[in-house]
Amino acid sequence: MLDNKGQIRIIEAFLAISVMFSALVLTAPMSSTPDLERQGTLRKIGTQVLVKLDNNGTLGKLIESGNWTALRQSMDLLLPAGVVYNLTVYDENMQGVNTQEVNNSNQQGSEAVVIQYLCVTQSSDIHFYTIKLQLAWLK
Amino acid sequence: MPASSIDTFLACSVMIVLVLSAMVSTSNTLRPSMNELLHRKDVERFQQLAQYLLLNKGVPTNWGSLGNVIPDSLGLADSDSSQPYQLDIDKVSRLNGNNIYSLSYSQLWQLSGVSDVSFRIEIQTLFNLSTTLISTTRDVNDTTYQFEVYAEKSGAPVLARLHSYVVARDYVKSFKSSTSSNGHSSILVTLPNSLNGTVILLTFAKAENNPQIVAFDVFTFSHNSSEPLPNRTFTRLDPLNYVLNVTFTYPSEEVLKTLVFTYNYNFSLIEKSRSAQTVEYSIPRLLDASPMLLVITGINQSSSFAEWSSYPQVPLQIGADFDESDNGAKTVSFSHIVTINEALYEIVTKWSGAESP
Repeated sequence: MLDNKGQIRIIEAFLAISVMFSALVLTAPMSSTPDLERQGTLRKIGTQVLVKLDNNGTLGKLIESGNWTALRQSMDLLLPAGVVYNLTVYDENMQGVNTQEVNNSNQQGSEAVVIQYLCVTQSSDIHFYTIKLQLAWLK
Repeated sequence: MPASSIDTFLACSVMIVLVLSAMVSTSNTLRPSMNELLHRKDVERFQQLAQYLLLNKGVPTNWGSLGNVIPDSLGLADSDSSQPYQLDIDKVSRLNGNNIYSLSYSQLWQLSGVSDVSFRIEIQTLFNLSTTLISTTRDVNDTTYQFEVYAEKSGAPVLARLHSYVVARDYVKSFKSSTSSNGHSSILVTLPNSLNGTVILLTFAKAENNPQIVAFDVFTFSHNSSEPLPNRTFTRLDPLNYVLNVTFTYPSEEVLKTLVFTYNYNFSLIEKSRSAQTVEYSIPRLLDASPMLLVITGINQSSSFAEWSSYPQVPLQIGADFDESDNGAKTVSFSHIVTINEALYEIVTKWSGAESP
């Protein structure tokens, strides 16, 4: 017959197993962190596209004239394939300006990033616009 | 053996199994994160290399225009520009293997200064243009060719304004049109039957809403003559430093016209110098957000020819072929929008190398 001391040690061992495994189960989700590399790449692509579009004042002109179709077409051509985006323009009072949606797809993207860009028009009547560009890789 | 010893033995065994399985599980759980951390270090390094290539001018800063100079340090940025991601037309042209002054991949690899990294550079227009001959209608005095032009990006149609030029011998004619919402456009070209030889149809396309986004396509066909020979059969056209260097393949060749085309303009090129087998022409610095297409027409014995080259010489691809490599190392690619002579292009750089220790 086993004595009480031995039984306690076995129970202790099983308790230790349950503690260790529950610790592992709880920490497992931490290892699947968002893919920062892909998000960083998206952020760089988005910023570069907005800077290029704003280089000669095109971005400001399109916003001033409310030519949202043209803005969408330019974004479609400048962004690489496989990237979904949604662009919103805000005025100085942070009121939404674009009357039409400026995006390329209703499909879901993964690991979205948001870029905020300040655009200053190059016209004689200077206006400031805040552009919020949401980007994601197509799933 | 006392019962307490059996209990202790059993408990110890369970503990050992527990510790071992915990070690294995921990290692398996953390391995992806560790690998990601190591890979991220490589990606950051490759990203810095790509940016260095695009934001630096190289040494000497004007190495692109000095045809016979191999730079001490590689950089593609325009030496006269203060804007980021503005590339030099000649530095880009010297990456194209068709240019007589081009740098080989092994030279580029040595100049990059990173011996453990292989790379590839691809430069192209932001959308594609393709031309197809649909039909030919022959009349008594002339022949009409119907072409279909298609503008697309990744399979999606592109709305664009088109400007086409037809060049044959000393005949030049231009047409304007635009693509419909499905990206297609039809072009009718009527040529007199008195004309014969190789004909070049050049088409430039500007995105409807952004004049900096330009694409082009060149279609060669024969009119009242045998099938045209491949481009560069009769001449070698090497543009550099706004000079077109023409090298003739046959001594009997006679030049009829040498022209430069952009979306908005076309001019005859002015001869700068001539020797037995070569002629140099000055290329004007046109203020047009468009690639330049250089066309030469001529006669070799009884047959006429028409050949062309672009300036900057894009599209181009140079570097390691990662599709065929199987070294197990991860390949990372970066896409950037760059400006060359006011027009926008896409440059994709691909990088691969030994994993970080």
